[in-house]
Amino acid sequence: MLLSNEQKKSDMRGAYGDALVELGTDNQNIVCVGGDTTDSLKIKKFGDHFPDRLFNVGIAEANLVSIAAGLAIGGKIAFASTYAAFLPGRCLDQIRNAICYPNLNVKLVVSHAGLTVGPDGASHQQLEDFSTMRAIPNIQIIVPADAVAARYLIRSISMIEGPFYVRLARPASEVLYDDNALFKVGSGNILLEGSDATIIACGLMVSRALNAAKQLKANYGLSCRVVDMFSIKPLDAHLVAKCAKDTGAIITAEEHNMIGGLGSAVAESSSESYPIPIKRVGVRDTFGESARDGEIDALLEKYGLDTKDIAHAVIECKKRSKK
Amino acid sequence: MGFRMRYFDLKRKICDIRMLAIRGIAEAGSGHPGASFSAAEIMGVLYHRKMRHLPDKPDWEDRDYFINSKGHSAPGFFATLATAGYFPPEEMETLRKLGSRLQGHPVRYTPNEVQSVPGIEFSGGSEGIGLSVSIGIALANRLDGRKNHVFTLIGDGESNEGQIWEAAMAAAKFKLHRLVVLLDRNRIQQDGFTEDVMPLDPTRDKWSAFNWNVIEICGHNVEQITDALNKANEMKDRPTIIVANTIKGNGIKHMTNNPQWHGKAPPREHTPILLEELRSECFIAPSIIAGQQENYEEKIKNAERGGADIIHLDIMDGKFVPNTTFFSDTIKQLRRITTLPFDAHLMIENPLDHIQDYIDARCDVVTVHAEMCNESQFLQIIDKLLSNGISPGIALNPSTDIPSWLYSHLRDLDVILIMSVNPGFAGQKFIPAILSKIHEINQKVRKHGFRGYIEADGGIDATIVQKVYEAGARIFVAGNAVYGSGDIHGAIIQLRHKVNVALERKLLDESNAIGIRNDWLKTRKHILIPLANELGIEEELHALK
Repeated sequence: MLLSNEQKKSDMRGAYGDALVELGTDNQNIVCVGGDTTDSLKIKKFGDHFPDRLFNVGIAEANLVSIAAGLAIGGKIAFASTYAAFLPGRCLDQIRNAICYPNLNVKLVVSHAGLTVGPDGASHQQLEDFSTMRAIPNIQIIVPADAVAARYLIRSISMIEGPFYVRLARPASEVLYDDNALFKVGSGNILLEGSDATIIACGLMVSRALNAAKQLKANYGLSCRVVDMFSIKPLDAHLVAKCAKDTGAIITAEEHNMIGGLGSAVAESSSESYPIPIKRVGVRDTFGESARDGEIDALLEKYGLDTKDIAHAVIECKKRSKK
Repeated sequence: MGFRMRYFDLKRKICDIRMLAIRGIAEAGSGHPGASFSAAEIMGVLYHRKMRHLPDKPDWEDRDYFINSKGHSAPGFFATLATAGYFPPEEMETLRKLGSRLQGHPVRYTPNEVQSVPGIEFSGGSEGIGLSVSIGIALANRLDGRKNHVFTLIGDGESNEGQIWEAAMAAAKFKLHRLVVLLDRNRIQQDGFTEDVMPLDPTRDKWSAFNWNVIEICGHNVEQITDALNKANEMKDRPTIIVANTIKGNGIKHMTNNPQWHGKAPPREHTPILLEELRSECFIAPSIIAGQQENYEEKIKNAERGGADIIHLDIMDGKFVPNTTFFSDTIKQLRRITTLPFDAHLMIENPLDHIQDYIDARCDVVTVHAEMCNESQFLQIIDKLLSNGISPGIALNPSTDIPSWLYSHLRDLDVILIMSVNPGFAGQKFIPAILSKIHEINQKVRKHGFRGYIEADGGIDATIVQKVYEAGARIFVAGNAVYGSGDIHGAIIQLRHKVNVALERKLLDESNAIGIRNDWLKTRKHILIPLANELGIEEELHALK
């Protein structure tokens, strides 16, 4: 399933746009609402194919998600897309009351999440969406790690009734999966087997987790399992418990505030099922800053999200592990 | 447009909505009576006269949608659904209680949702969202080629929310001509008057500037609401907003226009008195043949401006009565100038032969004389009227009693008109013996299932109207009392004032009977003070301080 170390790049947003066109071709009930970012989200392509079914509501996120709710009430499968900073940032109440409470068939697919937005700076760097979305009943949270995952999961969620939040990143990601890879909502994928520790990551941090595992193997002889936990909610609690039991240490990595995100979800799950030492890699409850596209790696390094931060966390965590 | 509900049937349904809402709120000990009452006519007209919907099949795909964006009017909304047959009215007693299907704010219904009732499309409560959701529904309907409408109730306090204006822009952009917004413009929000908290005016201009079709009406006048909804139907390129000027708390006098009653429940022990007040709605019906001037158009316009509820039309054929007035062709002309209900009183021979003319002239109430038809003719008349959405009435001359055959048809009857003069001429004196006749008939017909209104016609003026009210009449035909004076507005106000005093006396007596007179005086003080002299309670009120 895992591709060899070819360092190809993959475009998640493009995959979303393509998936939407495919879905829209098969199913007339697929509609999409955008907010003056349709080009950026790659949903413009959907509008080119189906001009009647893309609704651009301008810069009005509360209106955007609520119109999507209405379309779902009217029997449509409504995709609602704009930048993650503003959806859910500017419309949390509408997501809660208009979509999640009535459990409507709305798919919130957002992009430009996390620090890797880059030059736009902290106002545009969504770092608390997992935390806010996780706390709302009914909604499920998906974070693809590359374009193959994105394309597959967009198709999957379109067939599952109910609200979803899908978070995509702006930069091209490394290609992690081949075209035959499988993804199941509510499960994680083991990308690398290992016995000394498990790194559970999501989104752009998955490729860094793999790199960290390789370095640890090469430099310390440590064998790390790497899990792509693309389903933040429902979380694969079974897999978390298994990793705790098998490897005795878990390190999480996410492009999100350390409060309330993937690390919190994994810690909550494991502490109830199989308590072991856990170390979280994430943004340390602070705002980010601008960085040019060429400086993204340096930006992640500055905020503690580099490969070496993951590797360091593994070593620290292993010290506390009894296994 | 679907079936048109008869005027008085609709009025009774709206009364039921208010009564159910207040029973639920009082039982729950919390809720929003103000907003439920200001929007009672709007919701009543939508569900009982305008919308295409099937209570037995709430997911019928061609249904019109109602989105209650101002979710705090939930008790009124639930009550409306109950009167429309979506769930048993008795369930209103569970409002806001643990485990109830009637939550504090409406919850979208799905078959596995236990906290909701069929018919609720949208979960309200957070303000400002429903209009956007309505846009989504309207877009989905259009994509599917359906021609159904989306009706959305928004509030003026709710219009503080920026999202309302995001939605206003979007609906105009998408040219959603089958989206109709009704703004419950009651001018009160939680902290006080809207124009103090956050001014909304100029409301019309704002919506016009957002490229909407704007219609402004009185939101308690069911004919104006109906008319505005029909006009909205004609729009082909833009959405419509009906700015419905309403009175918060309308129906219970001490709650009206009082921010204190935005979200407060009345004490449970007040319920019987409040229900009595709601049941006591009265109608002033000027009779246009009275007075000197012959210009009926002018007379109707003056009565409308003066605050008349309905227009009484005396049709005399020169045979059943010695005089001759006008016929259906005149009514057709007059119909164009007002939306006020026309109450046609046919003092003619062979009414069955002519009934179709008055249906075609779009009368709202048609009353025929008991002396002029037998049971079989009456049944044909009532059938025709009911199937055309017209309120049927029967009239009794002073010496006529209720025909015995009528008792089995009382349920279908909206009006019993009791003549208090001998018909034929305007300007006669009220016959005092009629008071006891009204009282007796009212008692009798209620026992036989009559849910309509008693109308008194002849010689009614400010000196007698209280007694007529106390006898049980609720529609007062006023001829010379209105048109004989130079001041039509003043005359109508005086009649209404007299009726109000009689009502207050009745409510006071009721409070006495259930042992809460002092409490009622306190609650009602600001209403009673201006009437204290007439009610003889000055000292009592003074003692409260």
